[in-house]
Amino acid sequence: MPRQVLEVTLTADSVAADAALAASGDASAFERLYRAHVNRVHSLVRRMLDADEADDLTQDVFVRAWDKLSTFRGESAFGTWLHRLAVNVVLARRKTLGVERGRFHSGENPLEGVSGRRETPEISMDFEEALANLPDGARQVFVLHDVEGYRHEEIAQMLGVVPGTSKSQLHHARMALRRYLDR
Amino acid sequence: MNDQWTDRLSEYVDGELANGERGALEAHLATCAACRGAVAELRQVVARARSLEDRAPQTDLWSGVAKRIGAGQVVDIRSRRFSFNVPQLIAASIALVLLSGGGMWVALRRPATPSGTRIVTPRPDDFTMNASADRQATRIWTGRTDAAIADLQEDLQRNEGRLDTATVRVVRENLALIDRAIGQARAALDADPGNAYLNLHLADTMRRKLELLRRINAIASAQS
Amino acid sequence: MLTTIAAAVLATLAPMQGETDTTIAVPAGASLSVNNFGGAIVIHTWTQNRVKVHAEHGSRGSIEASLVGTTLTIKAGSRHGSPSVVDFDITVPAEMALNLSGTYTEIEVNGSKAAITAETVDGSIDVRGGSGNIMLNSVQGSVTLADATGRIEVNSINESVELSNVSGQIKAETTNGDVTLWGIKSSSVEATTINGDVEYEGTITDAGTYTFTSHNGDIQISIPEGANVTLTVATANGDIDASFPLPFRGTREKHRYTFKLGTGSARMEAESFQGDIELRRPAEMREHQKEKEKDKDHEMEQEEP
Repeated sequence: MPRQVLEVTLTADSVAADAALAASGDASAFERLYRAHVNRVHSLVRRMLDADEADDLTQDVFVRAWDKLSTFRGESAFGTWLHRLAVNVVLARRKTLGVERGRFHSGENPLEGVSGRRETPEISMDFEEALANLPDGARQVFVLHDVEGYRHEEIAQMLGVVPGTSKSQLHHARMALRRYLDR
Repeated sequence: MNDQWTDRLSEYVDGELANGERGALEAHLATCAACRGAVAELRQVVARARSLEDRAPQTDLWSGVAKRIGAGQVVDIRSRRFSFNVPQLIAASIALVLLSGGGMWVALRRPATPSGTRIVTPRPDDFTMNASADRQATRIWTGRTDAAIADLQEDLQRNEGRLDTATVRVVRENLALIDRAIGQARAALDADPGNAYLNLHLADTMRRKLELLRRINAIASAQS
Repeated sequence: MLTTIAAAVLATLAPMQGETDTTIAVPAGASLSVNNFGGAIVIHTWTQNRVKVHAEHGSRGSIEASLVGTTLTIKAGSRHGSPSVVDFDITVPAEMALNLSGTYTEIEVNGSKAAITAETVDGSIDVRGGSGNIMLNSVQGSVTLADATGRIEVNSINESVELSNVSGQIKAETTNGDVTLWGIKSSSVEATTINGDVEYEGTITDAGTYTFTSHNGDIQISIPEGANVTLTVATANGDIDASFPLPFRGTREKHRYTFKLGTGSARMEAESFQGDIELRRPAEMREHQKEKEKDKDHEMEQEEP
């Protein structure tokens, strides 16, 4: 079988090197990792929960990553691992907040009920604001699928629903967000 | 707009419809402007989602994190698990080598991707990957670990007197056991230098030796 | 003799005929620290808010007890600088956290519902119960833990480690012995040895991580039907044997194979350098275990005069 090789460049290595150093207790290496990834983590948390919680939860994610670094085996990219950890922290937080699974609407435009705005294309809310105004279930699915790239099977497991629900929620989210595309 | 196809449009956009259904939907799209428009908009939403930019938090959160992880304090090495896994170790070694002016590329054998494509990133033209490069990489990280082990073994020799002879004998037997395992792992790795499992196994076994030495040193120094 | 102690250091309790018996009232939430050198530490539990200490020692021996804040510390006393050999039998409230240490000391705990740290060099550790942070370390002795839950770390060096009916986050390690995990409920398990077998019978939960490694021994894992796990199996010199079809959908490189069962949600690594890796169904493993025990009983019978 032909050798399949992955060549490792310096930039990828420096992340892996920092991960190795941080795993053995080097806090400045961990700070470098923090700086490189905080924006992404913060944005993920903000989109999946809300702006109020995002700061606290972002810190929670990095503290947890520090604790669990010794289990990072380096087989996936550090960013991927950190990312999945962030998703887990967010999902756990949702459970504590008592977000009910029942809040998965069907049918109507989710944004109409919430914002009371009429459907006009010149709406001034931007895409991210509109995202924040989606009902909880649709927003989680949209962020996990379209922004973060998880598959419906994975999302279904994470959120405790069946894949069919994930698909229909995604569809409702997308249909609602059409009106807020930047032009 | 509401017809029997409206709710399936996202699946269509994501390529999740079975062949038969897809054909039927495409036939419908040919005749339904509303659905065509919706499909175009859905695609735009997906594209917009993928292009969302990450924003920085408004305040710097690092100090909060640093406080909680105890950064700046002396780290109790006994409470940290050291996990010298191959990519990390090699990466750490490479970082050091490169920082000190050497130029080294390492080929890590990785499993084939499902579609069988080769993942390649740009490299210098004059570099050739081969087994000796793999061996070199292994020598670098095992060298560092060997140095750490040697330090601890010196410590142990100084402290041995504080342990009774039976314990010393048991410790020596177990160190010998681990050494045999390390020897076997090294031999296998030498025959198959880039193999990720063998690298990992050797790293794990050397780490076990480090941990054993640390633990016994701690016990010995605690004896009055 | 019932002694109530305020936040002050007790004098050394005067020994009588090589035995000391005393009972000490403790505040709620108190913890116990026992430091022995040679001899046993045996802990039982009861529902009273008192600690009953029974110690057997040579006629020159003694014990020291002090209650500072919420920590009750009991030590084998030493005369002329050399520590005495004391066997402790202590009954404590079930919720009392335990910190037990010794050198030539066997440690036994029964019925605890609290956190436990036990360390010894030459002696076995045998714990039934425990809840919270549990850390058991021996160098020369075997370590067994049953009916416990929490964040668990169990280590020996020269003997085996055995966990049964345990739940929580688990790390079990030894160098020259087997690691046996039965009746486990966990989504985070790590079991390692160099010269011994690893056995696991327990849950495989979605998104869990499970790592089983040996250098020179076999690894036997129970995989329940319907488990969702991405399984990476590696051995340099051994065989891989499964009692059920292994859908090879994953990645392959020399010595290491990845299989995906169900949704592949959990991650499991089973690696032995020189040993075999066996994947069984739970019912099979239990049958096999029963056979082994029957054989053991048989052996024991044959040894009787």
